[in-house]
Amino acid sequence: MAEQVRARAAIIGCGAIAVEHLKYLSASPLVELVAVCDVSKAAAEFTRDRFGAAAAFVDSQAMLDQARPDVVHVLTPPHHHAELVLACLDSGAHVICEKPMAGTADETEALLRHARERKRRLIESHNYLFNDIVIGLGAMIADGSLGEIVEVDLLLSLDFLSGPLGDTNLEGASVRLPGGAVQDFLPHLAYLFLHFTGHQGEVGDARGYFENLSGNPRAVFDHMDALVRAGGKRGRLKVVSDGHPDMFRVTIRGTKGTVETDLFNPYLRVDGSPNIGKRAPWGQIRNGLALARAGVRNFRQKVLQHGTYHGMPRMLDAIYRSIRDDTTPPISESDMLDSARLIDRLVQLGAAR
Amino acid sequence: MRIFVTGSTGFLGRSVVAKCAEAGHDVVALVRPNAPEGSWEWPDHVEIVTGDLRQRSEWCAALDGADAVIHLAAATAGDLPEQFAGTVIATENLLDCLPSTVRRIVHISSFSVYDFGSIGTGAELDEDCALEARPQRRDAYTWAKLVQEKLVVDFCREKSFSLVVIRPGAIFGPGKHWDFGRGLKMGGFDLIFAPFARMKLTNVDNCADAIVRALDVSADGGTFNIVDADLPTHAAYHRLCRHAGAPAGRAVYVPWLLVAAAGLCVRAVNRAFLGGQAKLPEILDYARQQARWKPLRYSNARATRDLEWHPAISLQEGVARMFGDLALAPLQAQRPALEAASGGARDTKS
Repeated sequence: MAEQVRARAAIIGCGAIAVEHLKYLSASPLVELVAVCDVSKAAAEFTRDRFGAAAAFVDSQAMLDQARPDVVHVLTPPHHHAELVLACLDSGAHVICEKPMAGTADETEALLRHARERKRRLIESHNYLFNDIVIGLGAMIADGSLGEIVEVDLLLSLDFLSGPLGDTNLEGASVRLPGGAVQDFLPHLAYLFLHFTGHQGEVGDARGYFENLSGNPRAVFDHMDALVRAGGKRGRLKVVSDGHPDMFRVTIRGTKGTVETDLFNPYLRVDGSPNIGKRAPWGQIRNGLALARAGVRNFRQKVLQHGTYHGMPRMLDAIYRSIRDDTTPPISESDMLDSARLIDRLVQLGAAR
Repeated sequence: MRIFVTGSTGFLGRSVVAKCAEAGHDVVALVRPNAPEGSWEWPDHVEIVTGDLRQRSEWCAALDGADAVIHLAAATAGDLPEQFAGTVIATENLLDCLPSTVRRIVHISSFSVYDFGSIGTGAELDEDCALEARPQRRDAYTWAKLVQEKLVVDFCREKSFSLVVIRPGAIFGPGKHWDFGRGLKMGGFDLIFAPFARMKLTNVDNCADAIVRALDVSADGGTFNIVDADLPTHAAYHRLCRHAGAPAGRAVYVPWLLVAAAGLCVRAVNRAFLGGQAKLPEILDYARQQARWKPLRYSNARATRDLEWHPAISLQEGVARMFGDLALAPLQAQRPALEAASGGARDTKS
């Protein structure tokens, strides 16, 4: 694509996550938003009007045939992803798909193969990788300030049962994947674990609990607590729905130091060696001041609506530039496959029960 | 008439179902699966159908043979996607299921759809006032209710259904007292914003009465604002609630000019230094301040003329039902009529 030619973009699915994609699509000079599509005509037309799309459709195939998009964002509930991704690829479009792209690693692999055969890009959203704090942590790991990374713990504590995922006024499972509602969040934990540990390929071992503690039938699963070993590295991945407050806590331990943050309310607590003796209190004072600064910064971010999805436009911009310039995409096939394989291992903990 | 009522177990819906039954209609009440049993008290002949409008299911078949639909269902909390699903997509599903037997749709909209910024201070707000053209500056509820009303109006025009739109003001009654009219609580003091501006109140039973009357009115395509006749100021309402026994604090009056000046200053700062991106609380957000506290006059002339609606419950009685000796009165007051409508037998859920 030449610099001045904008990619013709479309979305399928006009729910909550679509808004985060459309903020970029409606403002980027790289993109022309040619269509939005949803099974609800009201939702499609509302989204078209709100974000200035050229057309609204209720039938995805009609949208692909008539709007002829270069790139389609598949943003529907995950059990529809595979069918829609295939249709979009067959129409000749590149696809950006919300997580989880598929229910299993095998399905993920099949979709990626399909894209490769058609010489199209298929990219699963790994938006947290593009958040300021995650980029900052990546830089700390890369410059060696933490030493060699040995352990990564991720805790997602989120009251998702109080929202649509646990709303028993509605019938059926909220997420029709083997891991139920928990699987909707697992991609974030999986790709962040692999990113921070730097591990590639299959993990060695995963053990723990994957269960339904609330008894909420719509969630299917609402809790996971897993210990994972990957090469010489290890970690604990947790998804909790009954804890308070909501948090996405990340702890990275290296041979020289440990860093901790919360992706929902970012701060940095850095503990380096030595942490005993007279120097230890100075480290605590330094961390206390950093926490106070983070509080002020987070207050400003909340007021300015700079939320947890602020990495999304950065990710989409990198993807669109890679498509335009025919360069390596910011999220590779192996990134997606490794993440899907780790998720498989975690979901199997539930199947084994 | 066979009346299908959505949002039946909501604050207003419970009263509407009871009034419909009292008026001798056959009522089909759509109740969400998680609605707590005992949260309503209706006569035995009210048919209860379980379902959620966000998903098409058995409730769709229960519409068969309906002569009229009273559509109250809407989401009142959550972010825009949640409210859009609960208000707009729910309505879309309902409209898709409407049988041709339906002769009248009574759609319950809201005062929140008006553009309060376009109405001069002290002017009268009536059904001809402009609707909010920039709902994104207000809140998710306003935005979803605007889209919902347009959806219903367009549908009825296209499919030639007879429609009456009811726009209630602030509905009050047992369990919903609008914080006694205060804007903010500070320790033992209640800040009363715009103390001398009138509140757009309507008692829940008065409002339900207007809705039931809309089933029979000959007007087609009519829109009616519903507010009671004796509208108090914020200060008077707070005083009335406090005297009736409400746990309200001592009143501190904050004039509208001061409230508006603060809102305008914050808006200027937001635009100048924050690119207009700051999300503000209602008390500092000028667009939302106007919707809640701007001194206006409210007319119910069209409803009293065309619906022949005359609010039966006075402000004093309405407040007394919330806090005073009559606090348990609403259901008791309805019982004789309900019993009569159900053939004398009282067999209600508790």
